[in-house]
Amino acid sequence: MKTLYLISISCLLLIGCQATVNTVENEQKTMQVEAVDTSKVSTDAFLKNRLEVVAVNKKELADGLLKVQVTARNIRTGFWAQVSSWFMGDNPYQIAYRFTWLDIDGMQVNTATSTWIPLTVVPGDTVRLNAISPNSRCKDFTLSIRENDAARG
Amino acid sequence: MNKKIISLIGISCTALVLSACGPSVKRIDATGNEGLVTVDDVNFKDWQIAAEKGINSLLESGVLNRADGRKSILMISTVKNSTTQHIDTRILTDKIRQALLRSGKALTTTAVGGNGPDDAASKQVRRLEEDDMFNQTTVQKRGTAIAPDMSLSGEIVQQQSSQGRMRESYFFFHMALTDLATGLAVWEDNVEIAKQGKKPLLGW
Repeated sequence: MKTLYLISISCLLLIGCQATVNTVENEQKTMQVEAVDTSKVSTDAFLKNRLEVVAVNKKELADGLLKVQVTARNIRTGFWAQVSSWFMGDNPYQIAYRFTWLDIDGMQVNTATSTWIPLTVVPGDTVRLNAISPNSRCKDFTLSIRENDAARG
Repeated sequence: MNKKIISLIGISCTALVLSACGPSVKRIDATGNEGLVTVDDVNFKDWQIAAEKGINSLLESGVLNRADGRKSILMISTVKNSTTQHIDTRILTDKIRQALLRSGKALTTTAVGGNGPDDAASKQVRRLEEDDMFNQTTVQKRGTAIAPDMSLSGEIVQQQSSQGRMRESYFFFHMALTDLATGLAVWEDNVEIAKQGKKPLLGW
């Protein structure tokens, strides 16, 4: 019984040391966003329980280029989620993402720099993944997100 | 019989030892995150991140769009290396110039550059007008090369810190686009990359 009590206290202390992000924002939004359906975002099942895609927005710039923004939130907050994250070593969560651009015919447009970009996401935090299309022929995109195991300590 | 068994064991052991000592080399995805990460160096992933973020920022800024509809002509000036390492900044500038070319917003000149022309041929072919071996009507004329409108330059700064066994490097990639008509910087941005590593207890 004493051991169980000590383990519980240790767990509580460890969880207490893990930081989560708290955010405040204005409720009455003035921004006008063009939302796109999220079926073109692919994540694995493991990631799905940690990173929630909140919104996908796009904007066509004056020169015909497309700007997209994917808003995602690390939903691993709360006591048990924190215990699990501590145990799994995924707090903060390390991800990598890459945008792939497609033309009007659905063909991939080769770019000079398409690369996996590493990103750290603290529990509770909302991140916005942005990209600009490499040229005006790009009409569509896919975003791939994966765990960045290489960045884990 | 015993000798044969001993020989067989010996050969097997030698093979095992040799295979254990063999090099462990593999190809990795150059766009992935599996590459080596070292604290003091700019690794290939760092170049890719800096280039991607820089290009996104430059394309979004819209400074390459001209009122006359003509494509902007860019020259690649110098990217100053203010790090403690010997690095070739060409990886960064080449990625940016290729992306700009593919964007259809700008053309880059190879006839002039911050460290001299990337391609000396534009100048060399004009010297052929003194060479009677060549049909002079096919020789490139003087006054036809197009001068750049803008220049891309930058600097890479490194700051190192350490505390106990922990070491840290902070790389600051600064990029700027200058309008050569006015000398004004029409776009500037920077990409920051910070890396941390712990020295082992033994060795270095």
